[in-house]
Amino acid sequence: MRFATITLLSVSTAMLAMACGGSLPPPNDEWAAAQADVGRAEAGGAPAVPDAKLHLQLAQEDLQKSKALIDNDNKRAASLIAVARVEAQLALSIAKQTAAQDAARKAQDDLQKAKGGGGQ
Amino acid sequence: MRTRNVLVLLAAAGLLACGGERIPPKALVDARAEYTRAKSGVTLKLDPTDVHEADLALQKAESAWNNDPDDPNTIDLAVIAQRKAQIAEAEAAATQAQADAQQAKADLEAAMAAQLQSARGQLNQTQQALNQTQTQLQQTAAQAAAQQKQLADLEAKLKDARDTIAKIAAVKDDDRGMVITLQGEVLFKTGKWDLKPGAMAKLDQIADALRGKEQPMVVYGFTDNVGARDMNMDLSQKRAQSVRDYLVTKGIPTDLIKAEGKGPDNPVAENTSVEGRAQNRRVEIVVQPKKS
Repeated sequence: MRFATITLLSVSTAMLAMACGGSLPPPNDEWAAAQADVGRAEAGGAPAVPDAKLHLQLAQEDLQKSKALIDNDNKRAASLIAVARVEAQLALSIAKQTAAQDAARKAQDDLQKAKGGGGQ
Repeated sequence: MRTRNVLVLLAAAGLLACGGERIPPKALVDARAEYTRAKSGVTLKLDPTDVHEADLALQKAESAWNNDPDDPNTIDLAVIAQRKAQIAEAEAAATQAQADAQQAKADLEAAMAAQLQSARGQLNQTQQALNQTQTQLQQTAAQAAAQQKQLADLEAKLKDARDTIAKIAAVKDDDRGMVITLQGEVLFKTGKWDLKPGAMAKLDQIADALRGKEQPMVVYGFTDNVGARDMNMDLSQKRAQSVRDYLVTKGIPTDLIKAEGKGPDNPVAENTSVEGRAQNRRVEIVVQPKKS
């Protein structure tokens, strides 16, 4: 009875270990792709927009955490990398939105000035 | 022992109750709200692809929550779903802003074009007005030049006339105009008022010179102070009339020439000497300045 229980526990643990991704390959490609997303967000002006900068920092933190987990817990690392990617993508989208809205505001200001007659 | 059993039962019941409707993590609640927002606004219209991505991510997070609520990756999937909905909203807002900017730029171009056209129209009008003014100015200048030429011609003619007259009679200017003085002896016999033939020749030349000038003239007759004043007045009037009538026959218009006898008035010399009296017996033709 005791032996059977121990055997069952061992099998369960093994299955659990497999399920946890211990046997998954290291998500190196995903990590590189996330790094590229961070680079795009930086190039797209995210560091200059407070809200975008916040998500960029979250992406960088997630990437740091995931790096430490690679080889130990590849499944968890992959999950964090996926989060890092969307954080970086959101940072870029917010930067784009801010730039587009600034440009629209400027265009509308120019229009008002022109309509106001000489813009003095 | 009994108490313990009851506690175990209660715990089991609680677990069962929670298992049915467990409280979802905040990340999932946020993801649902964000997705609802993205799907109900203009975001779905402007960025359907990213909204669809958010939908798929949310379904994945919901299924992970149902199947594996305790897995830390479940929270990650919820965060991913929320971020994807936020990405959709940011992209849609960017697209909207780009469209707004484009519209504003098009409006600006149209406004500038309208202003330019209006400015061009005004410029055209100003140019036309300027051209008109220039034409008027040229016309005025031409008119002024023509008038000046006319005046010069007139002056030249007048000078010619004066020169001609000066050869046969004394010519001077006073405040009445040009005064041509003819001595009485040259024109008339003593006490008579009909013209001597030699006088006619002189008057012919004067008429030639004055004809066509259209200047009013008065012929004055004068005598010396010898004899009765009435007689002298009458004689001077008749003599002036003779000269006037003769000039009329030579083409001076009737309405431009008058005759007036002044008798011994306005002498030009003393009546005490023979020479003085001879000078006072005279006829003056006064050519008045042309009335403008």
